[in-house]
Amino acid sequence: MKSSCPQTDPIGRPGTVEEIVAEEPPTVLIVDDDSVARLAMAGRIKRLGYRVLEAGDGLSGLAVLRRERPELTILDWMMPDLDGPSFCEEVRQDSSIGSSQILMMTSNDHPEHIAEGLARGADDFLSKAASRQEIIARVQAGIRTAMLIRRLEQVTNELRDKQALLDQELQSAARYVESLLPVPGTVLPGVELAHLYRPSLALGGDLYNVVRCGDDSVGLHLLDASGHGVSSALRSAALAMFLREDSLLRYVGSRDPGAIVTEANRLFPLTERGDYFTILIARLDLRFQRLLYATAGHSGACIHRRSGAVEWFTPSSLPLGFDSSHLYRTVEIPFQSGDRLYVLSDGLYEVPDSTGELWGKERLATAFQKTADRTLKDVLSFVVDEAARWSGQDCFPDDVAVVGIELKA
Amino acid sequence: MALQVRERSMPNGVILEIAGDLTYANREQFKTAVESVRQRGFRHLVLDMSDVRFIDSSGLGLLALVAQQFKLTQGRLSLLKPQAYVREIMALANIPSLIPVYENERDALAAYGKAA
Repeated sequence: MKSSCPQTDPIGRPGTVEEIVAEEPPTVLIVDDDSVARLAMAGRIKRLGYRVLEAGDGLSGLAVLRRERPELTILDWMMPDLDGPSFCEEVRQDSSIGSSQILMMTSNDHPEHIAEGLARGADDFLSKAASRQEIIARVQAGIRTAMLIRRLEQVTNELRDKQALLDQELQSAARYVESLLPVPGTVLPGVELAHLYRPSLALGGDLYNVVRCGDDSVGLHLLDASGHGVSSALRSAALAMFLREDSLLRYVGSRDPGAIVTEANRLFPLTERGDYFTILIARLDLRFQRLLYATAGHSGACIHRRSGAVEWFTPSSLPLGFDSSHLYRTVEIPFQSGDRLYVLSDGLYEVPDSTGELWGKERLATAFQKTADRTLKDVLSFVVDEAARWSGQDCFPDDVAVVGIELKA
Repeated sequence: MALQVRERSMPNGVILEIAGDLTYANREQFKTAVESVRQRGFRHLVLDMSDVRFIDSSGLGLLALVAQQFKLTQGRLSLLKPQAYVREIMALANIPSLIPVYENERDALAAYGKAA
């Protein structure tokens, strides 16, 4: 490993940035129109072991700086065409070289003069009358700072690249999760489906599906994974696979919602981090115009009756995984022509306003009651917009999923 | 709001006084405090909830997890004096059917006396 300061000097502190690996010795650019002074400085810097570049005026110095990106530039104040402070301003305005370290030389070391140079972009000053020791110390200090800035830029770029890769992966996973969602429209003659999904991150932990089961029945589930992000989405996808029709027939041998939730409870225990699901499983039986459902801790479901009444499901059951021996029972309620079923994640109604007050189920029910004349799809957009209006923000703090099913009159 | 945990001893176990929000953001702190109790071999744990203002779905999961862990080692978890809002959230998830809730420390300790 090479130090940034190859030659030990009693004044400098070589090796203080030893963790920085430099393939080549650091480069110092000297910009001075006085060739004698420039050559003298170049000699001193070379003896310290650094690579030295020279420029005889500000404009060509700027070109070298852009091309070579030296670790440190030693710059004369007084030069024709482009003087030192103007050179500094050009550098600071150019984001590709803006972090360059500049040590300005001047024979005028009045405080106002130094202040002006610093204000216009110099990093440090060197009097033309400075001792050899001071010159070495200031050059080394400048190089140390430059190396730290380079390292910071490098790490920032690496992080940005890694983040971009992660974002791509998340987008790809999100597209997969979306592919698991049902196709809106007519599920069976007379049964309309609409749904709306707004994950709080690119990848959400809520999932739902609606499937036709024969000619007279429709199955529905909505699951809500505690927590957020990748691990929630992975667990949700695993549970969604279990809830596929073929898998249910094999593992549960029944379409009874209570039996399905009971088996899911056995197969999906709490994780070691205490993560779990709430779930609602329902079956709409068209022949007998009834709805059969079972829930594990999921209370976000209601029926908007044709009469205008909104009836919330009132389950008092444990979420999945809280007690492996728990038996979940099926509840049966009438579901008739003109009724609408809404199943939603709690992210919709547990959204806070600026004072922390939650929107709540009562306000959501009132919103549903204003929608009798709207299409099912419009209802979902309307209530999500109402919730967003309550929160005063476009994005929700939790995943929001809403599924609506209407039995056409 | 951050979580603060203070430990007191009781016969056969430990009382953890929890103050703050029992939420996703504070889960590691809560787990560390409980794990420390388990590592020292205590079988019974009382969580004094009187200074917990808020609990979210992750907090409920942690309570269920800790109840399961203590049950595995023939120990017991119970909750003491939850505030009205926290009590309501816990009731929605049916937590009281899993974890006994007491209104005062004397009753909680008496129950442990019987269990021990």
